[in-house]
Amino acid sequence: MRIKELKDRVLGPLTFWKALLIAILALGLYTTVIRFSQGLGAVTHLSDEFPWGLWIGFDMLVGVGLAAGGFVIAATVHVFHIHKYEEIARPTILTAFLGYLLVIVALLFDLGQPWRIWHPIILWNPHSVMFEVGWCVMLYTTVLALEFSPLVFERFGLRFPLKIVRAMYIPLVILGVLLSTMHQSSLGTLYVIAPEKLHGLWYTPILPIFFFISAVAGGLAMTIFESFMSWRAFGKRLEADLLRGLGRVIVVTLGVYTLWRFEDLYLRGNLHLAFEVTPEAVMFWGEIGLGAILPMALLASRRVRHNEQGLFFAAMLAIMGFIVNRMNVAITGMTASSGTTYVPSWMEFAVTMSIVGAGFALFALAVKFLPVFPEPTGEVGAHAQQSAAAGRPAFPRIAIDRRVLAGLWTLLFGGVLAVGYALAVNGKEPTKRAPEPPEHPAAVVPGEFAVPAEYVFPSGSESPGPVTFRHASHVTPDSRACTACHASMFRIEQAGEPVSGALTYERIHEGDLCASCHDGEHAFAVDDDCSNCHAM
Amino acid sequence: MKPAILTDLTKCIGCEACVWACKEINDLPREDGAAGLSATSWTAVDHRAEAHVRRQCMHCLDPACVSVCPVAALQKTPEGPVIYDESRCMGCRYCMVGCPFGIPTYEWNNPKPRVRKCVMCFEKRVSKGEQPACTAACPTGATIFGDRDALLAEAHRRIAAEPARYIDHVYGEHEAGGTSVLYVAGDPFETLGFRTNLQSDPYPRLTWNVLSKLPNVVSVAGVMLFGIWWIAGRKDTLAKVSRGEMTLEQAMRDHPPIGKPDETEK
Repeated sequence: MRIKELKDRVLGPLTFWKALLIAILALGLYTTVIRFSQGLGAVTHLSDEFPWGLWIGFDMLVGVGLAAGGFVIAATVHVFHIHKYEEIARPTILTAFLGYLLVIVALLFDLGQPWRIWHPIILWNPHSVMFEVGWCVMLYTTVLALEFSPLVFERFGLRFPLKIVRAMYIPLVILGVLLSTMHQSSLGTLYVIAPEKLHGLWYTPILPIFFFISAVAGGLAMTIFESFMSWRAFGKRLEADLLRGLGRVIVVTLGVYTLWRFEDLYLRGNLHLAFEVTPEAVMFWGEIGLGAILPMALLASRRVRHNEQGLFFAAMLAIMGFIVNRMNVAITGMTASSGTTYVPSWMEFAVTMSIVGAGFALFALAVKFLPVFPEPTGEVGAHAQQSAAAGRPAFPRIAIDRRVLAGLWTLLFGGVLAVGYALAVNGKEPTKRAPEPPEHPAAVVPGEFAVPAEYVFPSGSESPGPVTFRHASHVTPDSRACTACHASMFRIEQAGEPVSGALTYERIHEGDLCASCHDGEHAFAVDDDCSNCHAM
Repeated sequence: MKPAILTDLTKCIGCEACVWACKEINDLPREDGAAGLSATSWTAVDHRAEAHVRRQCMHCLDPACVSVCPVAALQKTPEGPVIYDESRCMGCRYCMVGCPFGIPTYEWNNPKPRVRKCVMCFEKRVSKGEQPACTAACPTGATIFGDRDALLAEAHRRIAAEPARYIDHVYGEHEAGGTSVLYVAGDPFETLGFRTNLQSDPYPRLTWNVLSKLPNVVSVAGVMLFGIWWIAGRKDTLAKVSRGEMTLEQAMRDHPPIGKPDETEK
């Protein structure tokens, strides 16, 4: 009975979203099996030319960035003593903690040998940005776990550990802020070593600063989004006044960010790149125009901030802008220089979506079982309590305004079109050279080389008499058509000694080796007359 | 001696002896062919209309791959060759992103994949005083092994002796801060598929410029944050006192302690 009760509380009734989640997780599980049994090549479209794809671009860069709300709110409440945001602290720290756990899971998929993920702990290279990011993420996840732990301790009434964590809370928060500042920016520093690879619209030596500022905006927008979703799903939400405050902070952050981006582009002489008709420019305006300038303009308006739908819509725009920015750095901006086109495989999407889905599910469970949100008050809360009392699921079913939905769908559709355009244009460019050797290999300097000496193949069971190969009757010093035979048929491994496996009657007389030219068309055929070649 | 390789593209006949000698000594599968650099071909010949171009790891003097590797799996030997310790590698592939020449390749279809690249036969031959398998196999002397300074001098000597034959550029002398693998050619390098937009400062400096500032930033920011916490907290507590929510005695014991308030604040 008890187990069934628990099962009901955890799983609840099967809804459309739960069914979708199960389907995605199933695909993710299938991919996981293939990934770990056959390697990255079997599930991803990654290549030597394009070694980092969706899992780094989305799961890592976006995942870590959107969890930035955790340290911003923690600093606001505990360092700056702006206590009205205390209510927000718990859900954001929870999101951040879940976010980092999922980033680590994603990393286990992307690393070639994930069972060595701990190697940076003992094998050091302090010159590596990745080493620094690894340490920061490791330490910060620990800090988040501790910041989050009071919820668990409270829930189970464990007073002693609660006391310890509380005593060290301030140093912990400050450590968390420092670690976050370091690795949020360092994710940008990762690309600073690739000035020729990353497109001029994104490459800058101050990429770390941009990564940091945009993470603050993205993390706060994510906090608004979560609050709205929790309200919709659980009837638990935060004071609208607090969210409006966050909206104002986003305006300032995005303002600084956008101005600085344009200034930096101008100073580096790359501003013109934004006004050329290229896939990169399209994606750039998608990111800056729709994902930074538009939400900034919307949130600057008092009317929008005071309208729940407007606030939600603007926050969604800022989140999309953030996601597109990270994907642009990781994928769009790296495409042209790679000489290839990278489109993630469905299995890469399956893993990413599974991880996102798992994030939503874990957040939902945590909200259900831990004191994450303050007790619901007011109309919505009353509604939720009523429906819960009446035995109905506590879903107040707050509708998202139709105009907001239409706007979001239009953007999504436009985005898909833009990405499609970008891929189509990139695909048209000549990506790879034909590997075949040219018909007339370079004749460089006449008289430079002596044609090699004659080569005698001794007689044997399959050869009635020794065959003397004369280099001089096949190539001249000036034509130097050496590649007709080397290394396609006769490989040289030590100077003067061609090796290409056993020379048998079949290989020489049936279309391979000598017979590939001596076919009666290009030169006399191998079967014309034995004494043409064999000394008998 | 600083081991180095000089490849004279005007002398290469495209026979691929270097490619197959490399496969031989490193025990790489032959059936995979050698259409380009790959996990099973650490050197490859790009047969172009102008010339046959042999590709391999450039063995930078200050290699980006070595600086980016978080676990020091890629290492620059004191002698010069850039080697790889596969027991350290966790497979983050940052070396592939960081390498300005696009050299490292990966075993994408191996469940225990490794990064693969030319290691200049360091352990097998060069450390024993022998030359690498590829230069030993070259029948025309197009690719030769020697001391970097001597080879660089030789390259410039060749260019000066036959200015009509060579373009006046030793690829690798300054690219990426200088490399141990050098090329001379009869055509401009950009037409031969070389990356010619590379900077002449070593790449690791780009990220080190940022990383080396971190200790200062962190210590200053840390002190500032504690300061802000204390000042903001004090203001908060004093505000409570003035609202009568707390006595001054409580406030002085509180977290953060406010210290002794100034006369004016009382």
